[in-house]
Amino acid sequence: MANILDVATPVEAKKYIAVMVHDEQYGIDINFIDNIVRMQRITRIPKSQNFFPGVINLRGEIIPVMSLRKKFGFDNDEYTPKTRILILKPEPQASIGLLVDEVKEVVSLTDEDIDHVVASEEKSTYITGVGKHAKGLVSILNVASVLAEKEGDK
Amino acid sequence: MDVSQYLEVFIEEAKEHLQALNEHLLILEKEPENENTINEIFRAAHSLKGMAGTMGYKRMQKLTHDMENVFQEIRSGKMKVRSQLTDVLFEGLDALQEYVDNIVNTQDEGTNDNQPLIDALARELNIGLNGDGAEAEAPAPKQEEAAAAPAAAPAEAASAQASAPAVQLEVSSGSVSYAEHEKAAIIEAASQGISALEISVDLQETCLLKAARAYLVFKAVEEVGEIIKSIPDAQMIEDEKFDFNFTVVILTKAEIDDVKNRVLNVSEVKDCHITKVGFTEVEAEAPAEDKSKEEKKDAAAPAGAKAAAPAAQAAKPNAQQPAKKAVVNRSVRVDIEKLDDLMNLVSELIIAKNGLTSISLDDFGKKEKRAVFNEQIEYLERITTNIHQSVMKVRMVPIESVVNRFPRMIRDLSKKLNKPMELYMSGEETELDRTVIDEIGDPLMHILRNSADHGLESAEERIRLGKPETGSITLNAYQEGNSVVIECSDDGGGINTEKVRRKAIEKGTITEEQAEQMTEKDFIDLLFRPSFSTADTISDVSGRGVGLDVVKSKIESLSGTVECKSILGVGTTFTIRLPLTLAIIQALMVVIGQEKYAIPLGSIDTIEDIPVSDIKRVEKNEVVNLRGNVIPLVRMADILDVPGERPERDNITMVVVAKGDKKAGLIVDELIGQLEIVIKSIGKYINNSKIISGATVLGDGEIALILDANSLV
Repeated sequence: MANILDVATPVEAKKYIAVMVHDEQYGIDINFIDNIVRMQRITRIPKSQNFFPGVINLRGEIIPVMSLRKKFGFDNDEYTPKTRILILKPEPQASIGLLVDEVKEVVSLTDEDIDHVVASEEKSTYITGVGKHAKGLVSILNVASVLAEKEGDK
Repeated sequence: MDVSQYLEVFIEEAKEHLQALNEHLLILEKEPENENTINEIFRAAHSLKGMAGTMGYKRMQKLTHDMENVFQEIRSGKMKVRSQLTDVLFEGLDALQEYVDNIVNTQDEGTNDNQPLIDALARELNIGLNGDGAEAEAPAPKQEEAAAAPAAAPAEAASAQASAPAVQLEVSSGSVSYAEHEKAAIIEAASQGISALEISVDLQETCLLKAARAYLVFKAVEEVGEIIKSIPDAQMIEDEKFDFNFTVVILTKAEIDDVKNRVLNVSEVKDCHITKVGFTEVEAEAPAEDKSKEEKKDAAAPAGAKAAAPAAQAAKPNAQQPAKKAVVNRSVRVDIEKLDDLMNLVSELIIAKNGLTSISLDDFGKKEKRAVFNEQIEYLERITTNIHQSVMKVRMVPIESVVNRFPRMIRDLSKKLNKPMELYMSGEETELDRTVIDEIGDPLMHILRNSADHGLESAEERIRLGKPETGSITLNAYQEGNSVVIECSDDGGGINTEKVRRKAIEKGTITEEQAEQMTEKDFIDLLFRPSFSTADTISDVSGRGVGLDVVKSKIESLSGTVECKSILGVGTTFTIRLPLTLAIIQALMVVIGQEKYAIPLGSIDTIEDIPVSDIKRVEKNEVVNLRGNVIPLVRMADILDVPGERPERDNITMVVVAKGDKKAGLIVDELIGQLEIVIKSIGKYINNSKIISGATVLGDGEIALILDANSLV
């Protein structure tokens, strides 16, 4: 989905949901997001990748939930009243939830506001760039690569 | 209205007719004099031809027509059924099947004319009618006919057969252009004194319901004749896609004036012009017509004349629909009774709902309210259970739809392998879920072929061994609890485990030491291993194992099991066990640690409460001796990495699950009870171990994972 950024004309601002993971701010293209729900009971799936805490029941649909904290190699999840699950629907019939520490706001960024970074850190593959807005920096999440990488650190 | 709607019906029915033809032809082969059978065959072929024509599948129609001619002669007793003839007819059925398959895939019948087959049919007809004497002459006319065929082929087969083969039809009047089969129908009709009329109808410009008027006109002329064509086609007329004029072509014996009056009697018809379709017969360059051909022509004429009516019917408007949609939906034919049941239940459901509503409105005391409420809940529960069963029933199809093609397959194999054999089937009415039915055909066919090809000995060998010369293969299906069992057995040589053993060691699949410890059954299980599937290695030796791994994986993907038992020299039996349905199952809910899991009831053998002191250790594995059976234990909490303490107990609860003959005791912490659960997928993102086959949502919204007991045994 990197090309979403490429095709955007400078004047057209795209909207991102700014979320907190650990103490960093990440932006997720609002087009991917189907729903945002509060933290709820997660059922553990034995033998799954460690960044999948399990599945939740959202109105009868069973949705796997991925912890962005663990996916990015931070320490264990802390569930607080601010914890949210972003429900993404990349394909029909294949929803997935992303566990984040906090959902802050919606930010509008134009292509000019975003610096495409190249970093050597492992998690940087999940980021297409860093956007600047009034309240600081937001790392733009590459949703496709976050979801695509299945094996990860199992 | 959509073309694909007709298409689905056509495909369903064509398959049915083909199946009927196959079945009855098999009977006919054995009982050539069976009149009922030949009538059945004739009827099926006739319907099939009509349907193919209606849908505009000309090649298919032509081939069916020629086959029908043969059946006609057999029916009228002019021809005898000979094995050569049945061979050709079976080939014809295969070709028809091919057309149908093409239609399923592409909505088009394909471009194969099957000319050689049509020639062969004509030849058989010829031989049959001229008696045995002509058989010797057969090869000669055959060649000439083959030469003549291309010349006649472009013209319609029906005309080639029924009237003079080399006559070209030139329609001379009107602006209507005719397709080949329509010309043929007109020609045939003309030979019986039936004329074709072109009726051009003008409707009044004030007419509001043009389609309805047109329909009435159709109705009116249908009373006196057969409509073979309309411009625009019927579909377009139905959709009112025409101005105030349309043309109908009919075949009728009635006078022009009579027809005209009938049409004008329909209100809002402004005018009507009728012209007779004339045609000139153009002799194509005369092909060498030998005596036998003349005879054939004469003989075929009555058949053709009879066939004219259905052919005309077949050519009814809306014939050549431009079929563009490529995908044919999967459909289930549902017994109307099942739907009625469902409907009844739904009305009960509504009543139950109303009952509940009234409780909340009524002025009952608290206590009474609760009592009435409980009563209603129980009622509701009963209805939902019944609805579930009914819906499942709707999805169920008898296994017959899969197995009914096997007798034909065995017959062909018998001829091909030159081994006399007979297939005995029972329990075809056993029902399975549609999704399972669709998948089970190939594995079953594989096993049957295996039995026929490698299982049964040759006739000489069988005589030498004192067995009946004709080998028998039995296919038996029955329901057992929540699963359906299909047994396929042969009375052939059985599996020579000694040879399997040798081959397995040779190939390095197992070591000598391993082989020492293996039982007969273990060796047979080797055949299901993928490494054993490679041809010629083992098929030369034991004749088994080719592709059996595919069979196994297919059946396991349907959550079924396959087992093989064999006695050397006596025969082999494959037993396939399949769950009745895949979507909703009965399960035992258990607690492990703090988590809830569901174990499908179908795989559970017994539930045992055993003292810890009974647990023995065999090579690091825990086992218990349960009434003489040594059962390995599986500590589920460890397997599933359940967090938390494992409290020491005096007694453990063990759920014994079985997969075929193998058993395992799953140790769980607590039993909750039996529950009907809906299986849901946990999605593709999570790396799923084989232990979890899915998840289900419980009544309180909690999720329970479903354990795949097969993977634990």
